[in-house]
Amino acid sequence: MSQQEKNNAMNRRSFLNWGAAGLAALWAAIGVSLGAVVRFLSPSVYYEPPLDFKIGHPGDYAFGLPTFLAEEKIFVFRDREKGFAVASGVCTHLGCTVGYFQSDASFHCPCHGSVFRGDGSVQHGPAPRPLEWFEVTLARDGQLKVDKDHVVPGSYRLMV
Amino acid sequence: MNPIRDAWQSIVRRDPLSTDKGKSELVFLNVWLHIHPAKVRKEHFKLKHTWYLGFITFFLFLILVTTGVALMFYYRPQSPQAYQDMKDLQFVVFLGPFLRNMHRWSAHGMVICVFLHMCRVFYTGSYKKPRQFNWVVGVLLFLLTLGLSFTGYLLPWDQLAFWAITVGTNIGSYAPLVGSRLRELMLGGHGVGESALLRFYVLHVAVLPSLVVLLTMVHFWRVRKDGGLSRPLWKLKPASSTPLVTIDAPANPGLAVAVVPAVKDKTYGLMEVVTGKPLFETVTEEEEEDTVFSYPFAFFREAVALLATVTTVMAVSLFWNAPLEELANPAKTPNPAKAPWYFLGLQELVSHSALLGGVVVPGLAVLALLAIPYLDSNPSRRPAERKWAIWAFTLFVVVNIVLIVIGTLFRGPGWALVPPWVHISGAE
Repeated sequence: MSQQEKNNAMNRRSFLNWGAAGLAALWAAIGVSLGAVVRFLSPSVYYEPPLDFKIGHPGDYAFGLPTFLAEEKIFVFRDREKGFAVASGVCTHLGCTVGYFQSDASFHCPCHGSVFRGDGSVQHGPAPRPLEWFEVTLARDGQLKVDKDHVVPGSYRLMV
Repeated sequence: MNPIRDAWQSIVRRDPLSTDKGKSELVFLNVWLHIHPAKVRKEHFKLKHTWYLGFITFFLFLILVTTGVALMFYYRPQSPQAYQDMKDLQFVVFLGPFLRNMHRWSAHGMVICVFLHMCRVFYTGSYKKPRQFNWVVGVLLFLLTLGLSFTGYLLPWDQLAFWAITVGTNIGSYAPLVGSRLRELMLGGHGVGESALLRFYVLHVAVLPSLVVLLTMVHFWRVRKDGGLSRPLWKLKPASSTPLVTIDAPANPGLAVAVVPAVKDKTYGLMEVVTGKPLFETVTEEEEEDTVFSYPFAFFREAVALLATVTTVMAVSLFWNAPLEELANPAKTPNPAKAPWYFLGLQELVSHSALLGGVVVPGLAVLALLAIPYLDSNPSRRPAERKWAIWAFTLFVVVNIVLIVIGTLFRGPGWALVPPWVHISGAE
């Protein structure tokens, strides 16, 4: 090997360094690509109903029996003394829609038999958490406004 | 010059099938048939060893692809068109109900046959060395089959579909750390809606079937590479320590080229320059007489299995219709809301605890299934010598069946324990 060739040849150390750097770059590229795939599959826009919405005027609701709003999956309670409260109709176990039974003032889930008391707490069944209660406020136009993004304690009431 | 004969000979290059050479060439000159060996052992035809369950599963998959593609011509993965298209398939499209029935019943059949195939492979000990990895591929194919069933379940967009998927994807969200993110990725939203329907459709018609095809190719390839179909136990020779002899190179006595068993056998070696221990397949003369050409013996039996599978599915589809419930209604959960029967064991577990029953137990069960060939170090395939393994696997199978039976027949409204012979009035 001539002196020229020796100068041009890559020595062992730099070969290994370049190789390691190349492998690291390859793994980094794979990692970034996987991240990009996950990000691609996560929608940037959700074409879903908004989490806060108006549900009409207080006068639309009767006292006593809760009103079930099917589209929004919420129960609207109106009590003469205590006022308005809004409970989620979605079972905390696996997301089936619960039904309210006046006879024992409790929510029953048809899927796996969870039963929630009137205040949303779990009476029995596999449900891990009580039913959620949502914040309900009075909008400027006099309508009730529910915000599913704001979970409130079961004692929360809106007096109108 | 005979152009027709020329054309024929350009397509079919083998010798006539009346010759042994022609019979061999039919197999290895043909891209579709060359997955077979040119000759097979007669004992592989024994029905009571394999029950042809692998073949039947594969044929059901072929029926599913064919009928599935046909159904795609009349299906739009949008709400509410999806459900309208189902109604069209039910009442308007020529042969629509029949094709849909075939698709549905083959799907159920495939779940059953994959499971039975797995049981067969376990009980005959066919997952043992060197077939360990093929068992793993098989378990993955089983999971893909369940995934295909699950994604297909949403497509009719009826009540059953909607709630089965709501429950199913919520089970996934109990997975620690990544659960809710996973559900969002699967559904493309926060609940089962339009984007979920589209995602499940793409998974069902493109992603999962491609994976099944790829893994099936690996599965078949490995059957050949791991020594062909597993042999019936009663054909296994007792393990003996055969004396070995050294063969010298013909031109150079003293230079050893191979060490082979010293029996009156034919030894086929891999005649290539390789380092390491040479690979030999030893076939006794008696065994060689036990083999026949794949054409026509194996192909005929496979054709019979194919015909029987297709006929059975068609017959069932003539007499039983695939169910279709009302249009999906997110506001009203049917009572009881049940997943497809093969997930009812899972739903039964979930009804006791979502995290334990929906994630931990099934997760461990799948890991255990995958690990079976590596955990079971006992080399024997004889039932008498592997009692413990057989008891453990039987327990697994029985628990599965019992849970599915409870979930299917013994669960009434509100998931209350109701025997099937008790009628509850007012229950939907």
